[in-house]
Amino acid sequence: MSRTISNLRSILTPLTTLIKTNIKFSTGFTILVILLVLTFLSFVAPPKNQHWYSYPKNLAPSLTSIDLILGTTANGRSVFWTLTTAIRNSFLIGIITALIAPHIGLIIGIIAGLKGGIVDRILMFITDTIIVIPALMLYVIIIMILRPVISMYGDPIPFMGLIFSITAWCWPARQVRAMVISLREREFILTTTLSGNSMLYIIAREIIPHLLPWHLINFTNTILYAIGSESGLAILGLSILDKDTLGTMIYWMLYYSALFRDLWWWYITPIVGIIMTFAAFFLISQGISEYVNPRLRQR
Amino acid sequence: MVSKPLLRFIILRIATYILTIFTAFTFIFLLLKSMPVSAVENILAGLTVQGQVIDPKAIIELRNTLYEVFGLTGSPVEQYFRYLRRFLTLDFGPSIMSYPTPARELVMSRLPWTISLLTFTTILSWILGNIIGVLASTTRKRKISKILVGLSLTLYPIPYYIMALVLIFLLCYLIPIFPLVGGFGAVSITDVVSLIKDWLYKSALPALSIILISMFGWWFLSSYSLALNTQTEDYVYYAMLRSLPESRILKNYILRNVLLPQVTGLGLALGGIFGGALLTEILFVYPGVGMLVYRAVLSGDYPTALSILSMSIIAIATATLILDLIYPFIDPRVRHR
Repeated sequence: MSRTISNLRSILTPLTTLIKTNIKFSTGFTILVILLVLTFLSFVAPPKNQHWYSYPKNLAPSLTSIDLILGTTANGRSVFWTLTTAIRNSFLIGIITALIAPHIGLIIGIIAGLKGGIVDRILMFITDTIIVIPALMLYVIIIMILRPVISMYGDPIPFMGLIFSITAWCWPARQVRAMVISLREREFILTTTLSGNSMLYIIAREIIPHLLPWHLINFTNTILYAIGSESGLAILGLSILDKDTLGTMIYWMLYYSALFRDLWWWYITPIVGIIMTFAAFFLISQGISEYVNPRLRQR
Repeated sequence: MVSKPLLRFIILRIATYILTIFTAFTFIFLLLKSMPVSAVENILAGLTVQGQVIDPKAIIELRNTLYEVFGLTGSPVEQYFRYLRRFLTLDFGPSIMSYPTPARELVMSRLPWTISLLTFTTILSWILGNIIGVLASTTRKRKISKILVGLSLTLYPIPYYIMALVLIFLLCYLIPIFPLVGGFGAVSITDVVSLIKDWLYKSALPALSIILISMFGWWFLSSYSLALNTQTEDYVYYAMLRSLPESRILKNYILRNVLLPQVTGLGLALGGIFGGALLTEILFVYPGVGMLVYRAVLSGDYPTALSILSMSIIAIATATLILDLIYPFIDPRVRHR
């Protein structure tokens, strides 16, 4: 019990210090909290918003009711409730990718960095090759082929996360490898090796703690990467168009040429949503890297 | 002149280049091969459903090409080499959406548009971003520099197509300088002057969005932080102690050292041009390679989409190769002994 509390404290203390001392982190964190509140609001969204034409079309924003606070769309949906669901689904895609890709990157980076030699060469060669392939084009082709089968196996949202993981592990792997190579030469690693500790013990107790903050940064960056890729694909009409994500919101508002119909509230909402998401996660990852790398602080 | 270690470096580098292209190609080959077999039949069925009238001979030819591309005929080794030949010559058979024009020809006709737009914007944003970045770092106490850094920190994480959408909102809707609905229509080549005018008018917004994002986003930030690091170097300090003129310190001591790593980035960006600025071109209805990919994807035109993908892979790999080969000439510190 006391162990859990001390573990919890070891997470909370840096968090509170970061919020108090680092303006980038606290700004990012505040925006994230706003977005998370919107995400949770999506669970109380009226079910009728899932269907088209359940609201009057093309209503301008008005403060009369929460349904109309951001107006309605040309296909008769409440922009506000659609936004909350969109943020939830986009976050889901981002987090699923971030749960897979940086961890693969971490493992491959550690193996490549520690083993060195031919293993390192081969792993880095594969990594570099995948980096060479233009990611968006690759996704376009993959989804073009898989689109007929995507919706056949249950909820398609997590599936998008799986697809983005195909390339998203490469940069984390490269970065982790570089860190491990410099860690490997440090004295304390030599000391534990000479003390006869096993490889797994060294990795778990000596190397991973050093990589953890960077892993956290990779985690947030991967969320952004996945959300960005999804909205890019959605603009091309290649995402899951019957689900609300920030990207498909943009797709539908472009499809109905929202600006041409003077529906500026529909046009600007998903864009502001994406910009807020990116600002939040970017500021958070900047904040963390300033925290772990004090040299960045002097500006 | 060409020393033995240098020669060995060149040979090794070219070998890696060939190996990289092969691996990328193999990756895509395996990916396509792992797709469900019915994919090809789906594509062909989709064509007949759309009501396009293609004579049976054409269908058979298309099926053969697609079967080869998806690795469905012959032994695995045969498949691999057949596909390899198509990959290296970018010959993926006739395009589906504008049958019977070869996909390769279609791509080539769009390349000038993309190359002209992206070469111009990439180089311009590289030059401006680097110069402004270095200047901002030398005057980092001033208010304007702080504003610039803040601005670029906000712009940097935003995806470029979001910036494009914001620009459309600002410059087409709020202040209607440009038409809201783009679209080239038919370009008449009869009148050169009007063609150029038309080109400039249509390219202005996409160019602006690319320049804003890549200048302030990446080039500015990287050259700013590189210049900050360079300024703390001993040789810069020494140059200051020798009271060399500031412009000379800036030009010969800081800018030169900042530019070296930036050249690498420029090369990569130039290599990436061949993929087209997919989303920018679509949002601004610009008739480049990116737009072609989009149309190819919408109409299920695999030959065209694959030839563009192959082209951009080869282009990026080649760009890195050229960079690595000329790097010793730009940076005298890199020696291959």
